[in-house]
Amino acid sequence: MSRLAVEQVTKRYERVLAVDSVSFVAEPGRIFGLLGPNGAGKTSTIRMIAYITVPDAGTITLGGQPVGPATQQRMGYLPEERGLYRKLRVGEQLLYLAQLKGMTARAAETAIRHWLGRFGAADWYGKKVEELSKGMQQKVQFIATVAHDPQLVILDEPFSGLDPINAELLQDVIAELRAAGRTILFASHRMEQVEQLCDDLCLIAEGRVILSGALREVKRQFGSNTVTLAFDGGDAWVDALAADGAVQVLSRTAGHLTARLLNDTPSRRVLDAALAETTELYRFELHEPPLDEIFRMAVGQSKDQNIRASEERAMVSNSAASS
Amino acid sequence: MNKIALIARSEYLRRVRSKTFILTTLLAPLLALAVVVLPVLMAAVTEGDTVRTIHIVDGTGQVRDALEEALPETYVVQRRTATPLDSLRAEVLDGRLDGYFVIPDGVLEGRAEATYYSRGGGGLAQQGTLRSAYQSVVRETRIRAAGADDLVLALLDARASLDTVTLSEEGDAAGGVIASSVVAYVLGLLIYVAVLLYGVMVMRGVIEEKSNRIVEVIASSARPFELMMGKVLGIGAMGLTQLVAWSVLMLAMSAAAGPVLALVLSPEVATTPGVNLPEGVDAADLPFDPNDLPAMLGSLLSPGLLLGFVGFFLGGYLLFSSLFAAVGSAVDQESDAQSLQLPIMMPIILPVFFLPAVLTEPDSAFSVFLSIFPFSSPILMVVRMAATTVPAWQVLLSFALLVATFVGMIALAARIYRVGILMYGKKATLRDLWRWVRTA
Repeated sequence: MSRLAVEQVTKRYERVLAVDSVSFVAEPGRIFGLLGPNGAGKTSTIRMIAYITVPDAGTITLGGQPVGPATQQRMGYLPEERGLYRKLRVGEQLLYLAQLKGMTARAAETAIRHWLGRFGAADWYGKKVEELSKGMQQKVQFIATVAHDPQLVILDEPFSGLDPINAELLQDVIAELRAAGRTILFASHRMEQVEQLCDDLCLIAEGRVILSGALREVKRQFGSNTVTLAFDGGDAWVDALAADGAVQVLSRTAGHLTARLLNDTPSRRVLDAALAETTELYRFELHEPPLDEIFRMAVGQSKDQNIRASEERAMVSNSAASS
Repeated sequence: MNKIALIARSEYLRRVRSKTFILTTLLAPLLALAVVVLPVLMAAVTEGDTVRTIHIVDGTGQVRDALEEALPETYVVQRRTATPLDSLRAEVLDGRLDGYFVIPDGVLEGRAEATYYSRGGGGLAQQGTLRSAYQSVVRETRIRAAGADDLVLALLDARASLDTVTLSEEGDAAGGVIASSVVAYVLGLLIYVAVLLYGVMVMRGVIEEKSNRIVEVIASSARPFELMMGKVLGIGAMGLTQLVAWSVLMLAMSAAAGPVLALVLSPEVATTPGVNLPEGVDAADLPFDPNDLPAMLGSLLSPGLLLGFVGFFLGGYLLFSSLFAAVGSAVDQESDAQSLQLPIMMPIILPVFFLPAVLTEPDSAFSVFLSIFPFSSPILMVVRMAATTVPAWQVLLSFALLVATFVGMIALAARIYRVGILMYGKKATLRDLWRWVRTA
């Protein structure tokens, strides 16, 4: 069983601090979501875990062993930017990549044929990659990531470019890997996917961890302060509530509303307004905020803290200068 | 299996099986042969079928008939009464006559010069034909006038070429300076072309892996150094394969080319063995007897020289291709590589400019220096080894310096490569590369 532990890892590129004292632990048999907007430091962190680059400070261990050439053999990495040799045949390509992970040619071929079968692609073995569609190439790349049965599977936006059927197939496979006790690191900025898949998560922004823990804990932390309604009829009452400062609209389409309750507004107030104004009400629910909302709040808070911290520093230096 | 070996093997197999490799390997020798053979064939063919009408104004009265005899059948010499030079000139100008000889009295005694007038053109072959016919006729007439008999003439015509033989510990090499200079030139240029060709191939391969992003997958399985060296060695092995294939094909074709050439040039004598030269070319004018060509090549390309060629080719290739890999890693597409390539191209191209100087004076201090200096030694040491007998200590020193340099350059290149393959978007400058070397 291989536990991935990232401790106080820092990476600086020239003048940019890409990763700033990041720590988290991904447990075997669980899916760990690494979330953050583009440029937050996800890829930089993953590259250090994959031992493609080395941290300036901090340690990364897999199963207690510091990452290095040995741990590279026990992990598979699906980068966000996919890449295969276009002129090479699928079988040959997968064989080469699996052998680079330390497999013998014979074992690699068995594994590759198994996985191609699993993805309904047994007859691709002799096809050139450039003959395959984008979605098919994606599957080939996924097989390259898992063919050597790695302890740690790193998937950076694995669903991008997949149609719903293949996305579901991939979800099933990921669930199997999880059941088999693999450690799965899932990086994404698609919050609804993370919400569906992950057991634990870690939000990073501007190179820093701003929120981490089990998905359920994190959501509970933010409380049940969000309402979702489905209705027929006018929605001018929504504007009235928002103008009063009672709610903040999160998403709003014809006949659908998700809003956050502000200033301890009771949910009843929204329900009353809706009952009075709409012709039909199909759904009213009070629930935890969606992950993207949590993310937005967490990023906002962390920015406020930064500003406050820098203001305090400025004040301290001012008072130091004046004294 | 060791990862470098694994990567090199994949690289090698992928390239050797490609259509491009197979086509260039087969077609390049054909092309080279065509460049050598076609002009000869063209000359022979075009020379053969133009009939020229000429006139001979003979002031001596002794040369005309012999000259008519000596000229090839395609020259029709008009017989007519004395015509003023003015009207001959007019006839040439309006095309009724192709040309005329004016052979003044006194040429036999060397007091005057003969002249051939024509509307120009006709080319080198015609000039050569006319000149050699005229010279041999005049020479023969002079000798006969002096009272010599046929035996003397036969003796004078007998072949009297000077063969030069190079003495060395490994055995004597026939053929002499001109032939060994040709070999030196060819080998030097071959190393130049091969290092450049395969070096750029390494660069392209790195750029390709970077731009289709496979490099990130491989970097999560192997160290960047292993990836770079695997690529360099794989392409190097491919290059060696191609060079060997080319040599075998060239030898086979030049063995076959002689008889084929003879068949085309003079079908009636094609059954006689050996190479027949086109008319107008005297065997004694050539630096070597073409019939001895295979044997001579064998003695010129001694095992020592071949070993030196392979060794210095590999050394030069490793030195420059690792730098090409570094440049490839720093750019996203080939067109961005131009300015970064320049510092690598210069030391490859410059030795070619010194090549003639080294050939003329292979033992001068300057030549010795250039053949030992690591950036020019891959080309120029091989040139010297072919052109002269190089003391063993110089070869060993040169090779040791080359090895030390390419080890250093590979280390340098690996540091650039490591950073470069993960950098996208920004166009790197030489200064950036230097910063990567220091910080990596």
